[in-house]
Amino acid sequence: MRAVLLVARHVFKDSVRDKVLYAIVAFALVLMATSFLIGQLTAGQDVKIIKDLGLAAMSLFGLFIALFIGIGLVAREIDRRSIYAVLAKPIRRHEFIVGKYLGLVATLAINLIVMTAAYYVVLAYMRWTLSPAALAGQPPATDPRLLIGVAMIGAELALVTAVALFWSTFSSSALLSAALTAGLWIAGQFGSDLRNLGQVVKSPVAAGVGRALYYLLPNFAAFDVKAQVVHGLPIGAAYIATTLLYGIAYAAMLIAAAVMIFSRRDFK
Amino acid sequence: MDAIRIEGLTKHYSVGFWRPRRYTALDHLTLRVAEREVFGFLGPNGAGKTTTLKLLMQLMFPSEGTAEILGKPVGDVSVRRRIGYLPEHPYFYENLTAEELLSYFASLFGYHGQERAQRVSRLLDDVGLGAERRFQLRKYSKGMLQRVGLAQALINDPELVFLDEPMSGLDPIGRAQVRDLILTLRDRGVTVFFSSHILSDAEAICSRVGILAAGKLAAAGSLTEIVPFKIHGWDLVVGGAPQALLDELTGGGATVTRISDDRYRLLLSDAAAPDAIVGRVSAAGGTIVSLNPLRKTLEDFFMAQVGQTAARHFD
Amino acid sequence: MTAAPARATIGAVVLIVTLAAAVVWLQVYRDARFHLAEPAQQVLYVRSPAMMQRLGLSFDAVLADLYWIRAIQYYGGTRLSDTAEKHYELLYPLLELATSLDPQFNVAYRFGAFFLSEPAPGGANHPELAIQLLERGIAANPTRWEYPYDAGFVFYRQADYRQAAEWFRRAADVAGAPPWLRPLAAVTLATGGDTQSSRRLWQNMLATADEDWLRRSAEHRLQQLDAIDTIQQLEAVTAEYRRRHGGPPPSWEALIRDGGLRHVPIDISGRPFVLDPDDGSVTISSDSSLWPLPTERAP
Repeated sequence: MRAVLLVARHVFKDSVRDKVLYAIVAFALVLMATSFLIGQLTAGQDVKIIKDLGLAAMSLFGLFIALFIGIGLVAREIDRRSIYAVLAKPIRRHEFIVGKYLGLVATLAINLIVMTAAYYVVLAYMRWTLSPAALAGQPPATDPRLLIGVAMIGAELALVTAVALFWSTFSSSALLSAALTAGLWIAGQFGSDLRNLGQVVKSPVAAGVGRALYYLLPNFAAFDVKAQVVHGLPIGAAYIATTLLYGIAYAAMLIAAAVMIFSRRDFK
Repeated sequence: MDAIRIEGLTKHYSVGFWRPRRYTALDHLTLRVAEREVFGFLGPNGAGKTTTLKLLMQLMFPSEGTAEILGKPVGDVSVRRRIGYLPEHPYFYENLTAEELLSYFASLFGYHGQERAQRVSRLLDDVGLGAERRFQLRKYSKGMLQRVGLAQALINDPELVFLDEPMSGLDPIGRAQVRDLILTLRDRGVTVFFSSHILSDAEAICSRVGILAAGKLAAAGSLTEIVPFKIHGWDLVVGGAPQALLDELTGGGATVTRISDDRYRLLLSDAAAPDAIVGRVSAAGGTIVSLNPLRKTLEDFFMAQVGQTAARHFD
Repeated sequence: MTAAPARATIGAVVLIVTLAAAVVWLQVYRDARFHLAEPAQQVLYVRSPAMMQRLGLSFDAVLADLYWIRAIQYYGGTRLSDTAEKHYELLYPLLELATSLDPQFNVAYRFGAFFLSEPAPGGANHPELAIQLLERGIAANPTRWEYPYDAGFVFYRQADYRQAAEWFRRAADVAGAPPWLRPLAAVTLATGGDTQSSRRLWQNMLATADEDWLRRSAEHRLQQLDAIDTIQQLEAVTAEYRRRHGGPPPSWEALIRDGGLRHVPIDISGRPFVLDPDDGSVTISSDSSLWPLPTERAP
């Protein structure tokens, strides 16, 4: 256990300094900062649109970060053999993988926190500058309920990181792993379509396959509560708890599989 | 107790996607290394030296055979506390500094706080990394990375050290330093197992060597066993010797090569009497630049062994 | 040598700047020469809301915002354009997409309801589409009283007072609806169509509007109703003149000399009313901001 935390700490230190992450986060921040310029176009919907854009930016750029760190770091590490020296130390392979995952999730969390802080700064600015009339009839600009949306985005991205880690434990190509992870994320948005395939396609086999895929593939769409938090609509605590548990269980399954594969892998 | 005991260690790969063929990287290697030895594991590029080291570090899993390190089977995690490993072409986490990296590895061994900091500092001094230790590893040259690699291999004061091509990427000064380091380790009683394709390094520091070619062990033993200490000729470099004398010596069976204006190298057979020839050159007004005995070197032996071994066979 | 590299650098910079200028000029020239309509205005690549929902992955809300912005720009662009006949064909599809991607997009429903039913030139003159949009809004947000209220409004403007009253009643039935809705339903049924109840309706709208544009529209309408009242009063004066002099007044000055008026009547935008010397009828000037006035019967 101690070894796991040691690995996590140093993976975090290494990955959080990566320049590409700075670029991605900076891009997201710039997007948020300029989003209030679009106020001219929106016929009074500035706050809603900025909330939407901010969450979308965090989701999208967070996805890039998760892909990058999950794959770039593990595949690169194996490719460049930095892993040899570590594995020769008194550390078991499973400790290494689990520690790696925790370190990557910590990096992701820090980046999300930075983006959330910027998000709220922009929203606070909006609240300060807009007239009360313009703010009326909507949920508050600096609505703390938005944090629920952010937390769900974080959980979704932690699951993406687990997928990325899983692929990169046995694939030698970082690009292939990235493509597979991105593909799974896209597929995971179509949960309802897969589940309801039977209503559209008249073949029972296809319907069965659709349902099976729905349960098998990670259902990323379930984490999407962005629209609800922006409109200030209530989301059941039970729903959140169930979805988070689903994410944890799925990620744990992937990490376990990654450990199994990684423990048997020859490093040629 | 043997430090390392390898029995019939074999590694096959599958090569090729459509019609996979079996490629044997290591073919039933059997070897013992005693404690406190400096063992040189030699062979041309691609012979299987790195494969052997990876199998010993359990970075790969053998197809057949076993290996033991310090009496415990390979893969025993507790043994890893007592060994060190320097991989070939070491590469580390780019964004960490050398200090942070060594600190990380030291922490994996269970060192904390003050003791850890002192250990890290001492080791960085030993390998000659000064102020650079605070720069991120991405900025390091190959030679500096090699030093960091050595430092991390020794961070736990190991009893047994595995070095894969430790001299690679170093300039002559660096190589001398590494040689001295290995000798220092030997004096401290550490067992050193290192692989190299540069024979002169091995000759200088090893007590025993093993020669690997095409996955098979061609020979193993102490240097004196492998390379009979027998003089089979002389290498004499003279200056200002008169042509007549040179012609006479050529007639007597010596091979004369011109090095520069008035310098010549004479290769004499072992039957020749070097003292007499030296006297005659001096008497004729020439100077003796150097006189060296010719012995069969490790290189000769090596070339012969490697040449003999069949090319890699594919099933 | 330092001279040669410096020269080369300057040369490179000059070349780049020249090319940049050429690039910009070519665009300007091309746009001026080949009058291309704004493509974004006229072409809707994806018409199907269901398809858009799938393409949107998890970014539905942002896409809804995007379609909302396009809807606003489309409306504004069409309204301000030079063409005499203003069609707003894309307004409904854009709003339909926005509300499909974000079913809680309140302002889109209300904007759509208002401007889809608004007669030309300010709107699309398709009240049935307005009702369609509102029904979708009601289905997604049954707790919002504003949508059935807006639906009633649409029917009121079509002079279908029975349906209007029915919708107002439905609005009143929603929990949390304001108390003036139920009496409004009753009044509409009884006296729908006269300017008094219209005025009341618009005043209610003004009071409850949570959008700037809605408020402005309500104010505008009330000003128009005021203008209609003023016209009625002015026509009473011209009728009096006709009775006394045997013919309609030839001009405002004549009326003023006669004593019927004290000064030339102007509307709230500062434009004088127009007197028709043939029959004494009064209208607002065509360059008044209140033009065109709604007919008396259907505000």
